[in-house]
Amino acid sequence: MTEALKLAVVGHTNVGKTSLLRTLTRDIGFGEVSHRPSTTRHVEGARLSVDGEPLLELYDTPGLEDAIALLDYLERLERPGERLDGPARTARFLDGSEARQRFEQEAKVLRQLLASDAGLYVIDAREPVLAKYKDELAVLAGCGKPLLPVLNFVAQPGHRDEEWRQALARLGLHALVRFDSVAPPVDGERRLYESLALLLEQARPKLQRLIEDHEAQAAARLASGQRLIAELLVDVAACRRSVAAQPELERGAIRELHDAVRRREQRCVEALLRLYAFRQDDAAASDLPLLDGRWGDDLFNPETLKQLGVKIGGGMAAGAAAGAGVDLMVGGITLGAAALLGAIAGGGAQTARHYGNRLLGKLKGQRELSVDDAVLRLLALRQRQLLAVLATRGHAATEAIRLATPQDQGWREGKLPEALQRCRAHPEWSSLNPGARLQDGERQMALDELQAELRQG
Amino acid sequence: MTVRPSPDLTPLDRIWLTEAVRLREEHAGPLDDDEANRQARTQGGDLPALIERRALWLAHRDGLIEALRHWRQGARLGALALILLALFTGAGLAFAALGDGQRPVNVFWALGSLLGLNLLTLLGWLLGLLLTGDSSGALGRLWLWLSEKLARDARAAQLAPALLSLLHQRRLSRWLLGTGVHALWLLAMASALLTLLALLATRRYGFVWETTILGENAFVGLTQAFGALPALLGFSVPDVEQIRASGALAGDLDGDLDGARQRWAGWLVGVLLVYGLLPRLLLASLCLWRWRRGRAALTLDLNLPAYRLLRERLQPPSERLGIRDAAPAQLHAPTAGAQLDGSAGAVLVAIELDGSRPWPPALSKGIADAGILDDREGRRRLLDQLTRFPPARLAVACDPRRSPDRGTLALIGELSRCAAATRVWLLQAPPGEALDSARLEDWHQALDTLGLTHSSCAPLRWLETGHD
Repeated sequence: MTEALKLAVVGHTNVGKTSLLRTLTRDIGFGEVSHRPSTTRHVEGARLSVDGEPLLELYDTPGLEDAIALLDYLERLERPGERLDGPARTARFLDGSEARQRFEQEAKVLRQLLASDAGLYVIDAREPVLAKYKDELAVLAGCGKPLLPVLNFVAQPGHRDEEWRQALARLGLHALVRFDSVAPPVDGERRLYESLALLLEQARPKLQRLIEDHEAQAAARLASGQRLIAELLVDVAACRRSVAAQPELERGAIRELHDAVRRREQRCVEALLRLYAFRQDDAAASDLPLLDGRWGDDLFNPETLKQLGVKIGGGMAAGAAAGAGVDLMVGGITLGAAALLGAIAGGGAQTARHYGNRLLGKLKGQRELSVDDAVLRLLALRQRQLLAVLATRGHAATEAIRLATPQDQGWREGKLPEALQRCRAHPEWSSLNPGARLQDGERQMALDELQAELRQG
Repeated sequence: MTVRPSPDLTPLDRIWLTEAVRLREEHAGPLDDDEANRQARTQGGDLPALIERRALWLAHRDGLIEALRHWRQGARLGALALILLALFTGAGLAFAALGDGQRPVNVFWALGSLLGLNLLTLLGWLLGLLLTGDSSGALGRLWLWLSEKLARDARAAQLAPALLSLLHQRRLSRWLLGTGVHALWLLAMASALLTLLALLATRRYGFVWETTILGENAFVGLTQAFGALPALLGFSVPDVEQIRASGALAGDLDGDLDGARQRWAGWLVGVLLVYGLLPRLLLASLCLWRWRRGRAALTLDLNLPAYRLLRERLQPPSERLGIRDAAPAQLHAPTAGAQLDGSAGAVLVAIELDGSRPWPPALSKGIADAGILDDREGRRRLLDQLTRFPPARLAVACDPRRSPDRGTLALIGELSRCAAATRVWLLQAPPGEALDSARLEDWHQALDTLGLTHSSCAPLRWLETGHD
């Protein structure tokens, strides 16, 4: 196995080096991130592997804070009449005593850069181009390693992208990457690694492999997320409660149904967060449209539906039994009979028996509760929204993102997918019902169809 | 516990157990899998191999492999019972068709009892294959239900659903079930054929056909139509005369009675072989072939969310390497001070301002403007100057939007050592912008540590007069 490519992530203090590492490693717990300068005071590494083969090692370093004084000091290290090149001067500095005292932190950075194949020089693009940054680059250049400037925070207002470009060009650094570690562009990682491959030609195959694997993983993660949402929708659509037709019992059953659906949605949210390696109690997760890892707006509040633009029927708008469509006596029987026929056509004795019971219940004056279409739409809309945010969110996000209302017109107003309608007739498909058959072949088929629907719409 | 997964597991068993473990984790929450993961990782391999090895390790620990063995034993016993049932059914069919030889055999009744049920179920199977998309069908569900009832411990409870879900992946259950059903019917038909031959060999049967409303020609045509295919294989077909003769009352026949019997017997055997045995043989082979091909193509569906999470643990795309170079016990701290001898005058200096704000502010005559410090040369020049002519009051203006790094603090400290009194002026944000309160707090802390007075109001009055 070949050696992994080693990269040192360097830069001024407080420009987001640890954040960049978090985003690149998708590890939200890596290091410590805060607004304070000198948060990271040690060198810490992380390794990226593909199929068990290590390809890239990234090292987080302390921030350079005193580069002006260090550059002065480095220049004084040259004895009269002597002409040292960068690496020799850096080596002499590292051997000296100041490397353990005043410039202890800077020495760590330089040592790590010397031990690496290249450096990523992280820049806070909102900062003006100050002389100290130029001196930092001069100090780093003394290590004789290729440097790739990474403009961080370019997605935020007030960045000075152009100024930095010009300044870096004057210093001879023409290749640079814009990469916002909070809201990384979709192809951000690809561009970062491709630019690196330009600097380190021999590492191109490794970087290419990393790019391809990461993109494949991203697509697979998205598919998994859609699967989780499809399962949620099937579970909720197929959920049914039978209750005697007495207002009091009905209210209790509706409350119970609501709670079950809320818990189910919460499970989906948690699964999505886990899938994208966010933790519920993370600062990053708290800026999602979630509160402490939960949706703030209640699922069964008509207001929530309105906010997401889901049209609601009269009964729900009045707030009566919001979200639980009560299958009335007549309607219930027709639905039951149709479903029974469908079940017989499908050849399932089990299903037929289930419907027999339901019909019997109807005749005994029981009512069936199921979850309203509008709630299904809402679930689909906001879980998709969450998935979309998660997919584009860096693991370093520390500031809130405002969500635009999703343009999911299809889910908001159009016909619900046929597969979802089918779930209505199969109570045994819902994990919320007793006696669920989750491995049922038809259920899996419905899941596949829904997943495809979620991918498109 | 060192575990080598049993070598006698077939690839299907392995993938089946893997699926069962996945379902178990899905239903009962994640298992304690640290050791399993480690074991799997140390042996290396690609992701499906790792997942499989982990699952087998867990399956072994939790007795799933044992359960699978029991299950297989049960399945074998069941199969044996079914085979016996098929053999007896076939023999019974043949007995029922031919009777005890006391009375002549009605050929079409015999044919109906030999083939009728077989052809009806075959038709049912074909219809099911064509019409329903549901691959597991009624039999599959029956089996699932049975195994649920029979599963004695919870560990094995996921075995049957796992197999079904696995088979669903490639729509294999219809082929597996088809293989079973057709093989059983094949056995039954073979048993019927043998019994038929044995009976025909050892007893003497007369063959007749009877009708109330149909004509003779209908039976002649039917007999010859049925016999056409077997005739290609060399089976005899009664000629028209013999057929007609069999329509008359038995025994009322002159001529070659034995010849007609033999021809009828040959015809019956041929029809049973071609319409009973051969279709089942062909279908059983087809199903077996599809099943084998499908089984070989079975893989883990790595896109399942459960496997996505496992991948992170078995082949972590990123791992922490730990701290390479530890943090120092304490950072080098810049210090402030004051130069007390021979100082006079007041100086205002700004550090690292960007061009967006007007600088300097209007100053009265007594205050010297030292400009904006940014690069090394400027710093050195000013420090030289201040060391030579230390001012009585020095105000340092900073932009709190920059971060208070050690370099800047060291510079402020160095400047403060050149003046009798130093104050830091933390500038307000330019119009239309706001200061980051967290960063402002950092500045306050850093300056407090340095021991310098700081304020966000312009200290111009202090510079001028020495008091506020």
